[in-house]
Amino acid sequence: MLFRTARAAPLPTLRGCVIAMSLLLAPPSLAQERLRIVTTTTDLRSLAEAVGGDRVEVTSLVPPNIDAEEYQAKPQDVVRLKDARVVVRVGLDFDLWFDRLLTQATLTQSNIRGLRRGEAGHVDGSLAIAVLDQRGASVGPSDGHAHASGNPHYWLDPKNAEIVTGNILDTLARIDPANGPYYEAQRLAFLARLEARLADWDVKLAPVQGKPMIAYHNSWAYLARRFRLNFIGFVEPKPGVPPSPAHLAQLIKTMRERDVRVVVRAPHEPEKNAAFVAAKAGAAVVLLAGSVGALPAAQDYLSLFDANVGALVSAQMR
Amino acid sequence: MTDALTLLWPPFLVALCLIGIHTYFGIQVLARNVIFVDLALAQIAALGTTVAFMLGHSMQGGATYLYSLAFTLLAAFLLAFTRTWSKRISQEALIGVIYVVAAAAAILLIDRAPQGAEHLKQILTGNILTTGTTELAAIVPLYLAIGALHWLLWSRLAPAKGGTWLWEFMFYATFGVVVTSSVALAGVLLVFSFLIMPAAVGVLFAESLPRQLAIGWTAGSLASAAGLIASYVADLPTGAAMVCTFGAMLALAGLIYPFVQGNAAHAMARAVLVGRWGLALVLAGSAALLMAAPRADQPLLDAVEYVFPSVRGIYLTRSEADIYRDAHAYAERYRREAEELNELETRSRAEGQALDDLLVRRISAFIKSYSEMRRGEEFVKREVRSRARERIRWIAGGGVLLIALAMMPGLLPLCRRLAGSGTREPLAPPLPSRERSDSERSAAERRNPGEGV
Repeated sequence: MLFRTARAAPLPTLRGCVIAMSLLLAPPSLAQERLRIVTTTTDLRSLAEAVGGDRVEVTSLVPPNIDAEEYQAKPQDVVRLKDARVVVRVGLDFDLWFDRLLTQATLTQSNIRGLRRGEAGHVDGSLAIAVLDQRGASVGPSDGHAHASGNPHYWLDPKNAEIVTGNILDTLARIDPANGPYYEAQRLAFLARLEARLADWDVKLAPVQGKPMIAYHNSWAYLARRFRLNFIGFVEPKPGVPPSPAHLAQLIKTMRERDVRVVVRAPHEPEKNAAFVAAKAGAAVVLLAGSVGALPAAQDYLSLFDANVGALVSAQMR
Repeated sequence: MTDALTLLWPPFLVALCLIGIHTYFGIQVLARNVIFVDLALAQIAALGTTVAFMLGHSMQGGATYLYSLAFTLLAAFLLAFTRTWSKRISQEALIGVIYVVAAAAAILLIDRAPQGAEHLKQILTGNILTTGTTELAAIVPLYLAIGALHWLLWSRLAPAKGGTWLWEFMFYATFGVVVTSSVALAGVLLVFSFLIMPAAVGVLFAESLPRQLAIGWTAGSLASAAGLIASYVADLPTGAAMVCTFGAMLALAGLIYPFVQGNAAHAMARAVLVGRWGLALVLAGSAALLMAAPRADQPLLDAVEYVFPSVRGIYLTRSEADIYRDAHAYAERYRREAEELNELETRSRAEGQALDDLLVRRISAFIKSYSEMRRGEEFVKREVRSRARERIRWIAGGGVLLIALAMMPGLLPLCRRLAGSGTREPLAPPLPSRERSDSERSAAERRNPGEGV
């Protein structure tokens, strides 16, 4: 086929060379199929796509706007794991159900191999993250996130994308060494884009920085640390337990005293309690996307921050 | 204080309105023996809301309300139909079926629209604390209208009449409308409490509907106020606190019922008897547990030590007490240090100098080791206590067991009689109290038969 084309073409040698070169350079996997990656959340999917570019095909299991901590795996999730070479998970006890799913899938499906914790294709995104709200179980979750292994929402610090993509790159390059340089270049290009935006976000958020704010639930610790946002209280300090009247009264009092103008809520969190507190204290409720896809504007990892920065700034300017 | 009042009076008014209509429906529901019908109707209404949501209507819109109303009416139709459907299957079984199928169908639907999952949960959990005058303006006219309707049609809607199919439908339809709105405000748990518990108290103490209503309303209002206050003072979630005070109210009513209806002296004797047996059994069980497994959790002893920590001093030796105190002090110190580090890190996010990743990691590591060390001190405390308990297991366990035996009704007099017969004392022991109460009871039953128990 190649030689016939080369012979028939007007510039036979040149075109033949180009085709031969491209066939030589491109690994066989590109010609046939792309490397399959399965992630638990949409944020990790976006980051895996940023590293893998067009040589990977990424599926995420938990739909946006569903609490990934409470996700119940479905039979189709086993099918989605089929032929996956790499899985990426949040870790820090955030997606514990994923271990059970992987065990089940490995035991029942012959084409699912090497994906479990500790095996070659398993990426724990939280590896080497500087974890916030780290209190051991015995210290007790007096407020904040009730996780023994720290606050798991680390992807909300854009700087942490460097670590997470690093973890993904490590495994990708080992599983698919031929494309290692490509993945590495992709990751560096992504981080350069991120760096440029980060400066932009910092400038935009300058008027919000340090201003006291309330959040529905302590899921924004990493965002707060990166952008110097000042969350002084939470509507529901213990996840899943409705706030007590004494807590709400104290919160409203604090909000009035410190002139809090913004109550932050994720789309999947109950709107009533947040609206109640905001109305009592004369603040506005701002919807922030806790993960990619949670709001229509947050379509990938970069636009997630674009959307959140825009929402925060316009609420504070109100 | 004013903070508490401004926060608590709107939900209290909402609770009064809900109790007003639900006590009435509760009496009806108890008479018809369809206790869980409100759960089924609430779940059906939630299913209607879900369908509307799936079709692209907003969660608070009018179309959504119409959908949930239509589904509720459909369920009312089914319920009215099933009352005379079969003599073999209780209607409660079909109510259960409606509940689980509606719940499962909603889950199946919502699976296709992820952002709806939390909404579905909210429909059924509600939060009475955040309700206020806007909600009152919506429910007061509705409840008044339904109340008036039932008053006018009372001759047809009374449960005893076993009315025709149409009137049954009428009952379930109006009830469905009430439940649809109230569950959205207060949640399933609280609405069930509003429905059943004041009505149960009313039915317990009165025969006629007006008196049942009056008693139910009073009891419900008091329990609501107590629940709201308890929730504020003790810093508890409001709905759950109210459900528990309602339960306590019903238990209290059950306790005083025998004193009000029937022979008070006999009820007293019975209460004392039950109390003595209960206490004796708890003590005997604790003693047996201490003797058999002194290192295991000792619920009674642990509770006593929690309330009166000085009790521990009785059975710890001096050196053990010193070790225990030291371990406690260290554990407290580690907890404080960890809290301080955590505080420092949290503050640094927005104030002062930002901490770099290295410092955050070091703080994390310190907090982790502090909590490990604290766990170690807690282990020391537990070990010291367990060893001391092992030492005293026979003495303390035996002593408590003796106290328990002494408390058992009828046992002391029996022993006295046995001892008496052994020492040739005059054979005229006092009549054992239990036999006396038995004979008194039979006398009371002879006096007014059918009212004894």
